[in-house]
Formats: sequence, C-alpha cells, structure tokens
Amino acid sequence: MSFWLDQALAQAELSNDCLAEHRAKSLEALRATPWPTRKTEAWRYTPLLSLDNSVIDEPNDNIDYPGSPEGVELIELFFVNGKLQSNINVAVEGLTIASLDNLNDEQQAVAKTVCQSAKPSRHLFGMVNDVLAKQGVLISVADGSDIKPIIRLVHLQNGGQSHVRHLIKLGQGAKVSVIEEYRGEQSFVATSFSEFDLGDDAVLNHYRFGLQTGAAKALAGCHFNLANRSQMHSTLVSFGSVLSRLDVDINHAGEHALATQNAIYLLADKELFDLHSNVEHMQPHGTTEENVRGIIGDSAKAVFNGRIHIHRYAQKTLAELNNRNLLLTPKAEINTKPELEIYADDVKCAHGATVAELDNKALYYLRSRGVSEQDARIMLNFGFINELIEQMPAEPLCEWLQGELRTRFGDLRTQLSVEG
Amino acid sequence: MTEEIDKALARKYEAGFVSAIESETFPPGLDEEVIRKISAMKNEPQWMLDWRLKAFAAWQEMETPDWAHLNFPVINYQDISYYSAPKSMADKPKSLDEVDPELLRTYEKLGIPLIEQQMLAGIAVDAVFDSVSVVTTFRDKLEEAGVIFCPISEAVHKYPELVKKYLGSVVPQKDNYFAALNCAVFTDGSFVYIPKGVRCPMELSTYFRINEQNTGQFERTLIVADEGSYVSYLEGCTAPQRDENQLHAAVVELVAMDNAEIKYSTVQNWYPGDEEGRGGIYNFVTKRGICHTNAKISWTQVETGSAITWKYPSCVLKGDNSVGEFYSVALTRGKQQADTGTKMIHLGKNTRSTIISKGISAGRSNNAYRGLVRMNPGADKARNFTQCDSLLIGDQCGAHTFPYVESRNPSAIVEHEATTSKVSDDQLFLCQQRGLDPEKAVSMIVNGFCKEVFKELPMEFAVEAGKLLEISLEGSVG
Repeated sequence: MSFWLDQALAQAELSNDCLAEHRAKSLEALRATPWPTRKTEAWRYTPLLSLDNSVIDEPNDNIDYPGSPEGVELIELFFVNGKLQSNINVAVEGLTIASLDNLNDEQQAVAKTVCQSAKPSRHLFGMVNDVLAKQGVLISVADGSDIKPIIRLVHLQNGGQSHVRHLIKLGQGAKVSVIEEYRGEQSFVATSFSEFDLGDDAVLNHYRFGLQTGAAKALAGCHFNLANRSQMHSTLVSFGSVLSRLDVDINHAGEHALATQNAIYLLADKELFDLHSNVEHMQPHGTTEENVRGIIGDSAKAVFNGRIHIHRYAQKTLAELNNRNLLLTPKAEINTKPELEIYADDVKCAHGATVAELDNKALYYLRSRGVSEQDARIMLNFGFINELIEQMPAEPLCEWLQGELRTRFGDLRTQLSVEG
Repeated sequence: MTEEIDKALARKYEAGFVSAIESETFPPGLDEEVIRKISAMKNEPQWMLDWRLKAFAAWQEMETPDWAHLNFPVINYQDISYYSAPKSMADKPKSLDEVDPELLRTYEKLGIPLIEQQMLAGIAVDAVFDSVSVVTTFRDKLEEAGVIFCPISEAVHKYPELVKKYLGSVVPQKDNYFAALNCAVFTDGSFVYIPKGVRCPMELSTYFRINEQNTGQFERTLIVADEGSYVSYLEGCTAPQRDENQLHAAVVELVAMDNAEIKYSTVQNWYPGDEEGRGGIYNFVTKRGICHTNAKISWTQVETGSAITWKYPSCVLKGDNSVGEFYSVALTRGKQQADTGTKMIHLGKNTRSTIISKGISAGRSNNAYRGLVRMNPGADKARNFTQCDSLLIGDQCGAHTFPYVESRNPSAIVEHEATTSKVSDDQLFLCQQRGLDPEKAVSMIVNGFCKEVFKELPMEFAVEAGKLLEISLEGSVG
C-alpha cells in the first residue's frame, strides 16, 4: 500500500448516499489490490512515487479562469479545487444536470445504473475515485432529445486533493456534446473519472482536454458503454506533468455500435503522460477506429497502451488502431504497445505503431520553397497534430483549441528548431 | 464434410512412437545432489559444476513468470527426472555399426538423413537422442575447415577456454526462470565455433528428440562465429506420443563477432497433446544472440508443435551497423497455446532489424505474438520494421498481439504493423471455383500467407515446413 493512499482513505468520509454501496464494494476491492510496482504490467513505465514523495500545495481561491470558445452555445460548469462553483440552472428541454450531492430519487436511480456501468474494476485509481469522489454531476439526456448547447465541464485546481466523478446518461436516440477540461500546474492530486452510458441509437460527441501540467498529479479515466447502434466520437488532447495518466475504456455492449477516438499528446520538460486505452468488443458488428499521435520533446516520456479485445461472440467486428510518435530530442522517450486480443474469427483488425523523427523529404520540400527550416519544422509538427484536431465535429472548438496548442508549441519552439 | 473433419481431427500424431531402448535414468527429483550427479556423469571439471550450482541457487530464489498469455498447471519440478541416457552409450560406439539399431530405425522413421543421405543432403548431423549425443558425423570434414561442431559436454573438456568465455555470456544464469533451470541441469547440446574468416562448408544440423517418459529435456546450444565467418544452423525436432506433460527448457546462445553472420533455422514439431490438450510438450525456450560490429543474426522458426510454446529468439544489436532478423510461422490447433515472438535490442548506431511474424490459429488454440523493439539512446539512425499477421481458422480460437515499442532515440525509426483476419472468402471462392476442395484451398492460402517466412528457410527445411503445415491444418477447415 502507498502512504498517500492510506492517508487519502483515512480522510474519506463515509456518507450514506445512493452510491454508498458502490463505494463499499470498491473499498473492499481496493484493499485487496496490491499497490502497483515497476513489475505491474499496467504501470510498467509509470512510477507512482511522486504521489508519496511530493509536497502538496495548499489550495487557494486565486484562480485564473480560462477563456471560452467563441461562436458556439455553451453550458459551462466550473469546478475549482474539486468543488462545483457554478449554479446549475439549466432550462434546456430533455436535459437534466444535477450535482451528485443533491440528487432526487429519480436521479439517484439513474446515477446508480450509470455508476460502474462501464468501468472495469481492474483500474486502481478508478476504485480510488469510487471511494473518494463526492463531487461531480449527473447529466441525463432524455430519449430522443438533441441537445444543441455543448456542455463544458471546466476543472481548475491549484493545490490539495480533488476527486471528481461525472455520470452521463444518454437515453435512446439522444444526442449531446460534452467537453471535459482540466487545468492546473501546481502540486496537487486529482482523480477525475467520468462514465458515459449511451442508450440505443444515441450519439455522443466527447472532448477531453487534459491540460494539467507542471507538478500536477492527474489520474483520470473516461469510460463509455455503448448500446445498439450508438455512436461516440471522442477527441482527447493531453499535456504531460510529473504524473499524468488517463485510462479510456470503451465497451461495445450493443450491436452495430461505432466508436471513433482521436488522441494527441504534446509533452515537454520532464513530463510524463500515460494513455491506456482499452476497447472491449462484446457484441457483433461493432466498429472502432482509434488514432493516437504524440510529439515528445525535452526529456519527456510518453506511454501508450492500446488494447482491443474482441470477444468470441463479437463477429464482424472492424477495429483499427494507429499510434504515431515524433521524438524531438535525444532524451525524449516513448513506450508504446498496441495490443490485439482476438477470439472471434470473422473480424478485421489491424494496428500500427511508428516512432520516428520528421520526414526529411517533407522538410526538404518546404525548404525548397523558401520556408525556413525552423518554420518548416513547426509547420510539419503542427500539421501532424492538426490533422486530428480538424476532424473535431464542432468547428469553433477547433479554432479555440488551435489557439491553446499554439501556446504549447511556443514552449516547444526552441527544440523544434534546434534539436529536432 | 463433418464426417471427414471428425476423421481428420482424430488423426494421430504422425511422429508418435516410443523406441524401446533401455535407458539409464535418474529417479525424479531435483536438488543439489542431482546436479552434482549430472555433472559427475559427464566428468565435468569443477568450474562447470560451480557454474551449475550458482545457477541452481539463483533459480530457487526465482518465480515462474506469469506474464505470458498461457494457461498451464503448476509444474512440479520434483516429478521430473533430470537425466536419461541410452544405455548402449556406456561403451561409446565408435562408428554407426556399433549404434543401437533400434535407435537408427527411430531416426529412419523420422527421415533423418543419417548415413548415405548425409552426404547427399550435405548435412553434418549431431543427433541428440534424449540427453547424450549419440553420433556426430562429418566431424573430419568440418575439422579441415577448422570448424568445431561437437556436443557441448565434449567441448567442456576439449575447448574449456572457449566454453568458459562464451557460456552464459549472452544468456546469463539469472536471465529468467527457465534459463536458470537450464543452466543448472542442462544435459547436452551442441557447441559450434567458426574460426575467423571461415565460411562453414555445410549447413549444421541437430535433430532433437525426447524419448524417455517423464524426462525433461534441457538442451544447451552455443554458437560462436568469429570475425568475418558465416554459419547456417538447423534445428528440428519431433517427439513421440505420451500422456504426461513433458518439460523442455532449452537455451541457445549465439555470438556473432565483427562482420560475422549466423543463420539459425528451427522447425519445431514436438508432440502437441491430444484433442483435449492432454500430454504434449511444455516448451520454454530462451534463445538470444549478440551481434558485434557489422554482424548479422537471422532467426527463422516454424513452430507447429508443443502444448505450450514460450519462446522469444532475440538479438542484441550491440555493434554499429549490425543486423537482426526474425522470421516466424507459428501454427496452433487443438488446445495448443503459443506465446512467441522476439526482442530486438538496438544499442549500436545504424543497427537494423526486421520482424516478420505469421500466426495461424485453428481449433481451440491460442496464438500470441509478443515482441519488444527497444531503441537505446546510442542507436542513432537505427531502423526497425515489424509485420505481424494473424490468421484465424474457426471461431473457437484466439489470436493475440502484444508488441512493445520503446524508443529513446529521435533519429531511430520504428514501424509496427499488425493485422488479424480469417481466410478470405474471396480467395477461398476463387480456389474452389478452379476445382480445389476447401481443405486444399485453405492449405494453399495458408502456404501463401507464410511464404515470406518459408523463403528464408534452407531448401530442405522449407519443404518440410510446408508439409508440416499442410498436415497440421488437416481437419481444421469447414
């Protein structure tokens, strides 16, 4: 066991709400799970020492609020240091948003079904979050409702520990877009998990911007449960920090479901980012397409593990996973492992992984046309990432995000030009 | 159709027969005393015994690795006998005439070209029957070229300096659980030394065969190719049928000095167990080679046998410009389980590696590719290409891919690709349209699927490998 975990659990208040039963179960499982070491496969490249060894900053109210994307209708909720700051007053037909600590009976019933519907118990910090998370929202979209405004959940933190859980339920044929945004660079611990339960024919556009960096210790997960003919399109953008880990689980629990996921990570300094993605095809005719790209600079380290598991019954599955990485400096490191585990024969599955530097031919092409080497490198690197950004369904979001990324590329600028 | 399939499924293991040869066998059990006895049987010098005991001490501290995608009962190492020698070896035969005729007949059944055929096939055969090398041929001819090819137990006496220098230099005693066990109890194997600048005049071959009930087979092979030399080495095996699981934990070490090249080819057809997965060999093999400057090591393997295959022939590309290659076909059927692949560790500049792996799963088997490509900080401009394809035949089997890619050099390029699918309906349709029955058609398609690997095999192996696949696939189609 870890000192950090012992302390965190000791401080956990045992409240008697609708999720109490889940908490008790997870606590039991957590106690039976050994703390990961270098030999634990899922944590092979990601040491957890910083949880035990670092001094956590005191949280304060001195928070900078980030700008909002323009040209798009938003419902914004702000969480500061793990506590909901905004009023939940939503007057959109078919949409219910409620704080987890204030649910009516009907909402409690929904929360119970969504919570742990997708999350496999094997994820350690998911269980930690199960036990400790008291804050978060329940978002419920009624059958057939198409929610126009995008729901933006912004999480800002500058110290302390926060444990947030969001539960999102889409009824049959419901449509909604959700942005999860996480920021902060001070020394803090955040476990942030969200679970999405999609009904038949539902469509979810999901964006997760994990922009925590610096000394932040961010342990997070997104879990999706797909019913018949439901669709999810997810875009993940992540920076690294002293400890940053994201587990994405997608369950094809219904037939003919479609999941697309584009993920990018941009790392600098001594940052670490670890993305574990796991897709379970449990029903026939599912489709999954995953594109993961990363640029790693300075002495940063990226870890990617992408597993696709096709169960015996999941015939006619199409699944593809692609991971491409650019290393910018001699000290940057990437560890990638795309995994296929297949038990059904009538399927088409492929995965690929590449690690390289920029294509010299492309560089040469640009320089032949009078572009300076530095600009050419930045252009090509940006293009490498931008290809995925541009596939985001909401155009105003693309522009807003490109602005955010430009700042990040500014940080990497010297390496892009000198050492790249 | 179903009837035919049933018939084919009930097909017995073709190489399954037990030769009735009297053997001297240790009672089951493993402790220091057994290791001392093995060492004494072979008249080993003290340093060799110490080396074994050190490994045994390390092994006792280690745990069975459980990371592989394999499922097998706990092995009781005290139930296994660690030494078995054909009895007629006591008075060492000087020529083939003196060899137990039963033994020779066994080889004949397996089709080993031992007598005249050897000349025709151009192969020097160091046949390992259970644990003691029985016949070593073509020694004179090889000696002319300065090539040393002999049982490792003999090398320990005749070339102690070479053995001392290289044994355990690639796979150290504590490398892993099964390697440590092998270090402690290995009974025999081959030793090859190719002197500087020599191109070995013929392909070297060892036929392994497990013959004694309840006898673990612990082979140890060491091949050293000195500067600028070349050798091609063939390893092939079949084993007789029996009910109890047998343990096989071999270690193969290759050393390719500057500008040397080693080509190591394997056809593995140990007994895979019956339809229910009973019996069958547990094959835990550690194979690794080290490449110095400009050297090349190429592993080619065709794995069709064994109940459990745990095998990762690897290359440590230490010298600049060195090359590692891995070509593999792994076929599983029945209840076979295979977890096999390779490791390419790039240390030197401009090192290159190629991995081509073809997995075929049929029946209720599980077939996993597990590989590691590591680019260390010094591996400037290193290059790797990996292609793993899996073919599924039937809806009760599994095909898995676990490739690890670790890069710490920006100028290194790693590419990994993997695909999984079943035999294409279009291709089947096309073949059947032209009058092939479904089984032939599948066999042909599978052979095509594996072609990239087969073409890397020496001629006679390629033929054998093709035939093996065909036989193995019988009854899997429908």
